[in-house]
Amino acid sequence: MRLRYCLLASTIVACALAQPAVSAPWTRGFVVRDYGFAFRYGGRPGVAETAPAADCARGSATHFNDEAEMRTALSRQPWRSSREIEAIIAPPGIEKARLPTYVRFYVWGRAVSYRGWRKGIETYVNPFAAHDPGQPQVVSRISDGFDLDGNPKTGGFTSAEGVRGIDNALYRAWGCDAPFRNPASGTLDLRENTQMQEGLYTVVIRISGNQDPRNDSDATVEIGYSPDKIVRDARANVAPDYSYRIVKSEQYTRLKAKIRNGVVETEQVDRLHVPRIGWFPDQMGDADFHKGRLSLTIAADGRAASGFVGGYRKWLDLLAENTFAQTGAEQGIRDHEDAVGLYYALKRNADGMTDPKTGHNTGISMAYRIAAVPAHVVDPAKPAQVRRLPADEERNKGFETVKAAMIRAVTTRTVQDVPLGTGEGQFPAMEKTIADLPSRDFFLKTFDAPGRLDDQGNVVPLAPDAKPDRQVNINGPATVASGNAR
Amino acid sequence: MRNKAALAVFLVGIMCGSALGWAAGSDQVVKLRRLSEQEYRNSVGDIFGKDIAVQGMFEPQIRISGLVATSTAVLSVTPAGFESFSKMADSIGLQVTDAAHRGRLVPCAPKSANAPDDTCAAEFFSRYGRMLFRRPLTADERQARVNLAHTMTRSSGDFYGGLRYGLAQMLQSPNFLFRKESAIQAGGKALKLEPYSRAARLSYLMWDTTPDAELMQAAQTGELNTAAGLDSQVERLMASRRAEAGMRAFFADMLELDTFDTVSKDSLIFPKWSAAMASSAREETLRGAIDLTLRQNGDVRDLMTTRKTFINRNLAAIYDVDFSFDGEWMPHEFPLASGRSGLVTQVSMLSMFSHPGQSSPTKRGVALMDIFLCEPTPTPPANVDFSAINDTSGPLKTVRERLMAHATTPACASCHTHSDPIGLSLEGFDTIGGRRLTENGRPIDLSATLQGKTFRDGPGLGRYLHDNPKFPACMARKLYAYAKGVDTEEVDASTFKTAYQAFADSGYRLRTLIKGLVESPEFFDTQVAIKQVSARQ
Amino acid sequence: MALPRRTILRGMFQGATAVMAVPFLDCFLDGKGQALAATGQRIPTRFSTFFYGLGLTTSLWVPKKAGLDYETTVQLKPLEPFKKKMNVFSGMRVMVDDNPNFQHWSGNAAIATGIAPTKVSQFDSKTIDQTIADTISRGTRFKSVAAAASGDPKHCYSSLGGANTLPAEPSPLSLYTRLFGPGFQDPSSGAWKPDPQVMLQQSVLSAVTDERKDFMRNLGAGDRARMDQYFTSVRDTELQMAAELQRPDVVAKVAIPAAPGEMPVNYALPNVRAVTPLMARLGALALATDQTRVFNLAISEPGSNIFVPGDPLGYHVTTHMEAIDPVLGYQPHVAQYNIYSMELLASVLQELDAIPEGDGTLLDHSLVFAYSDQSYAKIHAVDGIPIMLAGGASGRMKTGYHIAGGGNAVSRVGLTAMKAMGLSVDSWGKGSMETRNAYTELLA
Repeated sequence: MRLRYCLLASTIVACALAQPAVSAPWTRGFVVRDYGFAFRYGGRPGVAETAPAADCARGSATHFNDEAEMRTALSRQPWRSSREIEAIIAPPGIEKARLPTYVRFYVWGRAVSYRGWRKGIETYVNPFAAHDPGQPQVVSRISDGFDLDGNPKTGGFTSAEGVRGIDNALYRAWGCDAPFRNPASGTLDLRENTQMQEGLYTVVIRISGNQDPRNDSDATVEIGYSPDKIVRDARANVAPDYSYRIVKSEQYTRLKAKIRNGVVETEQVDRLHVPRIGWFPDQMGDADFHKGRLSLTIAADGRAASGFVGGYRKWLDLLAENTFAQTGAEQGIRDHEDAVGLYYALKRNADGMTDPKTGHNTGISMAYRIAAVPAHVVDPAKPAQVRRLPADEERNKGFETVKAAMIRAVTTRTVQDVPLGTGEGQFPAMEKTIADLPSRDFFLKTFDAPGRLDDQGNVVPLAPDAKPDRQVNINGPATVASGNAR
Repeated sequence: MRNKAALAVFLVGIMCGSALGWAAGSDQVVKLRRLSEQEYRNSVGDIFGKDIAVQGMFEPQIRISGLVATSTAVLSVTPAGFESFSKMADSIGLQVTDAAHRGRLVPCAPKSANAPDDTCAAEFFSRYGRMLFRRPLTADERQARVNLAHTMTRSSGDFYGGLRYGLAQMLQSPNFLFRKESAIQAGGKALKLEPYSRAARLSYLMWDTTPDAELMQAAQTGELNTAAGLDSQVERLMASRRAEAGMRAFFADMLELDTFDTVSKDSLIFPKWSAAMASSAREETLRGAIDLTLRQNGDVRDLMTTRKTFINRNLAAIYDVDFSFDGEWMPHEFPLASGRSGLVTQVSMLSMFSHPGQSSPTKRGVALMDIFLCEPTPTPPANVDFSAINDTSGPLKTVRERLMAHATTPACASCHTHSDPIGLSLEGFDTIGGRRLTENGRPIDLSATLQGKTFRDGPGLGRYLHDNPKFPACMARKLYAYAKGVDTEEVDASTFKTAYQAFADSGYRLRTLIKGLVESPEFFDTQVAIKQVSARQ
Repeated sequence: MALPRRTILRGMFQGATAVMAVPFLDCFLDGKGQALAATGQRIPTRFSTFFYGLGLTTSLWVPKKAGLDYETTVQLKPLEPFKKKMNVFSGMRVMVDDNPNFQHWSGNAAIATGIAPTKVSQFDSKTIDQTIADTISRGTRFKSVAAAASGDPKHCYSSLGGANTLPAEPSPLSLYTRLFGPGFQDPSSGAWKPDPQVMLQQSVLSAVTDERKDFMRNLGAGDRARMDQYFTSVRDTELQMAAELQRPDVVAKVAIPAAPGEMPVNYALPNVRAVTPLMARLGALALATDQTRVFNLAISEPGSNIFVPGDPLGYHVTTHMEAIDPVLGYQPHVAQYNIYSMELLASVLQELDAIPEGDGTLLDHSLVFAYSDQSYAKIHAVDGIPIMLAGGASGRMKTGYHIAGGGNAVSRVGLTAMKAMGLSVDSWGKGSMETRNAYTELLA
């Protein structure tokens, strides 16, 4: 018999008061309504995503925010003339263009996409070949997440409940990145949850045991995708008590757990697969935590659950998922983040999954926060798959291609061209946009591009470099623990 | 009027007498029933195909003595309603004769696509006239449409344009929009329904739509006037899957499921409620009722006690049970402890007869007494003080406590003791039909005493109604009134005594009741003194 | 009335030779006039849409109080002169069901059709203005007219369904030429042609009336009374059609101005500000002189590229780039752009309200449906897209209300608008947005 029936039935008293726990199989399901990086916001609620606070002493990152920020970013390339920089900042004759704002957006975008130590290096595929623009880091000592290595002396964070040695290096690295800083207003955090609730994807959790849902020494936790869209109620909140199938795709994980007073703690496993966060279809996929754990606190009445799932993730995967959601430039200019800064911040803070050959840490400790409402999580009656539209497949292929190029570039330290036809390698989007710009020729001549146009106007790849760059050494400034240099 | 005279130029001889015997002067129109929305939609769908869209507003319905069907015999058509019928008729006429449909729907090819062809037009109007008017057209009626189409074709240069307007004319004719039931004097005071009226009465009762070709044939040959012929048609109609549509329409009317269109819930307190939830709940009730009574051929009294139902994903969320995702609907059996028992504890009944923000034992009680026991409750006096009922901040925490404080005033007591007990036993369900055992922190008393019988919770009420002989008797009266378009309260049980006995003897099988009713001699007979049903609010 | 019969007949069907018996014509036109005279002045009710991109800022526009006498918020301030003549709808939801939420598309397409679009840049059905035009535009020269104030003919969210939208006039001059250039007939002086469709419908009704005597035979007294009512209803509809065959009364005292000159029409805000009221004025004149009864105006596309000269980002990019101000709690530049949208809406309403007509103004005899594509553009949210209905629809719409939608489907607003326009429609929308539930409290 299902637990909820037991509670609802006229035998409620017998059920609730029986001590010790009634030995009966029970199941509780939840659908995730809030999913995002476990970045503890240090400011007052409802105020700012950018203001200085306990987490970020100098506020959020402000890359590409205005003309001054742009000038700073472009001045880091020794090969750019000041004339070029000024032309980029204010393209001559822009007032004559029909879409001046798009002209500028695309010109800025192309400029920030080529910030290598020499001309011709696409920055988002080759972040290692660009100067570190700096990334403000979290200075707070309190963090959400887990002590993943079982060592209270590492990690450098203490949880709000007083657990020492919390490993959440991603928070330190990225916690001051503007679009993820405050769950109430951070653009990408909001966008991610809005898209999820509107049906981009659904994450469900099922907890079961044989003792008592609040105290069970031998419980099981399952987490994975559901092919069923989240149902929202008349007030647009995620509606409770709806049924969702759980599919045993690659992102499905089953864990042993212990429950004490409603707090569910799973075992720590070598590989913990869960759906990752995203706001575009091509970001959907596997989070693949190493040394993963999950912890959830269930409300006494069973009507809510909140907690974390975490572990170490390959930090290059995280970089790719965030950068290539659209293009590095688009996301950077819109959301004031610099993927180069994020790259160096990850590299500095990487704290796990050490490569035995190189001795480098390929992983970074992190967690996702979870808030969920009660649901009926059921096994599919017929085989079911995670939703994906045919149109998404093409985008996903592009994402995987450009991600592979970036990983190849960073791991071999060999400059890679941008694969054409991918989001990052979109061409000639800028060239088309500036067609009616009087200073068009200047930009066409000066700017690097992911490809070139042949005599017939067809897009063709660039000729490969005779001697690929290797072992580039960048002697730029790096900001470690304080705010952005500006 | 001048335009009348003008039209007479081409509408030749419309005033001339009718050719067929049944329409002769000695006939009497015993019933004139306006098509309901569903009857209209089903008829158009069956005659022209489901791909002909019917879009527009239908006139609001009223319920008389528990049935909307009864009101179809007293309502007319308002100007706004006619305007809408007129637009729908035009749109249907256009669709039927457009390039995409004419190949299938126009039975002949004109000699020329842009000139009148009276022969082809006559064939077209004879065919659809017979279907739409549920009887053959008289020669004059046919000729009037042919002439209309002829003129229209001449002026538009399009043969199909002529058909379009002629068809649109028939679709807004009272002969289509009203089911005219005519009877012939059969000696003494008895009147016998003429065969086409019989066919229509049978078809709209059993299939909720216009008679099919075979039934029309049976009317034409006179087969329907013989006991054997009638029986064979009734058996045929009953054996068809379409009988489910007929009984769906009956249950929807009897259970007042049209009320759902106006049900709204307070989204602050009950955000789970939505329009989709309402249509799901309606469908659950109809599916369950049809399954039990027709598919399983079960005892209709079990509608009050069964724990078996059909749910979709929305309803599973209110009932708080797993949905299997094996199709849109799944059968579900509630456990004993769920408190659920048949129709009375379904989301539909519980939510329709509640307030937006809280349950109402009185509304539930009044409705269920009327629907299932044919016992209407008098309307309350105008000067009632409701303050005690609505004050949740005072010491009275549960609806029951507050209701009792009000219902014990002498002026109110007699009615409340009549209807409240049923509602009070359903207090274990909130206004959207969810289960609850406490209210504002206090446990809810689910017991009730009615007419000397004490029961508790949904199963107790279900058993009470199941065992109450008034329930099957009420249902039979309503089915009879529904079929004939008369007032339930004026149906004397003695009129279908034999049929009712057969129903009881069969163990209350709905199929037996339908067959018994339509084959009993009085079903198609009537007395000369036809009493007009009066609309009562 | 004196109508050139031959002209009418020849004009009735394109190219077809019309040969018609004279009595037929008589029955169309004569004998109805008297009944008509009793109905008095007939000012048609007009429908307009106003599209503005990128929504508003929730914290700055949604009044706290619902119902009448709500407080004027910062972003509704420009509309204050029309507060008593309009309704605002907050908290309305776009429910996409199994369809994606297409950025800068799903919101406006859903509001215009009641259906969440299955494809980007396509409508899954006829848009509301066209549905309304089907009913109200009989007999007018243009079924509907559209204008695009930032100069792109594609900026028109009026469609018969699918990817095609009806092209908008991209400049005041082209709009003027279309409306008042060659082919313009001043209805108060020139010839006016009744809609031949209406005449045909009318003769169908006459044929229904002709069944009366036959049908009444053998009816009891009660049924006779019912059928009397039925045939009275038929007669009412006939009279209504007869009214449609009459030349409309142009009661507004308007003069058609000279053609506007060439002027820059693009996204620069000063230009949009100059062009919008001018287009609105031309549209208003077209409505007042019954050239059309449906006028659609868009100030930009969804994801508006309108920009203030000197602002390097412009409206759309700003919604994404601009940080939320730590102190204010919103995006200050975006908020200013929002206000520009409302000022432009006010300038349109001003033009409609400036034309006196009968006992009120053109605005009083209109319904203006104003809507957008997003609620919180920064994250492409669609819940709570601001919608306004301005004008009294000839007394059929009660005004002055703030309706706090509380999560209701946006289609309720569309259904309410259609009912106010006198359409016979019982439900609108699809999926979760299918509704039979108009805001009846607003319908007079």
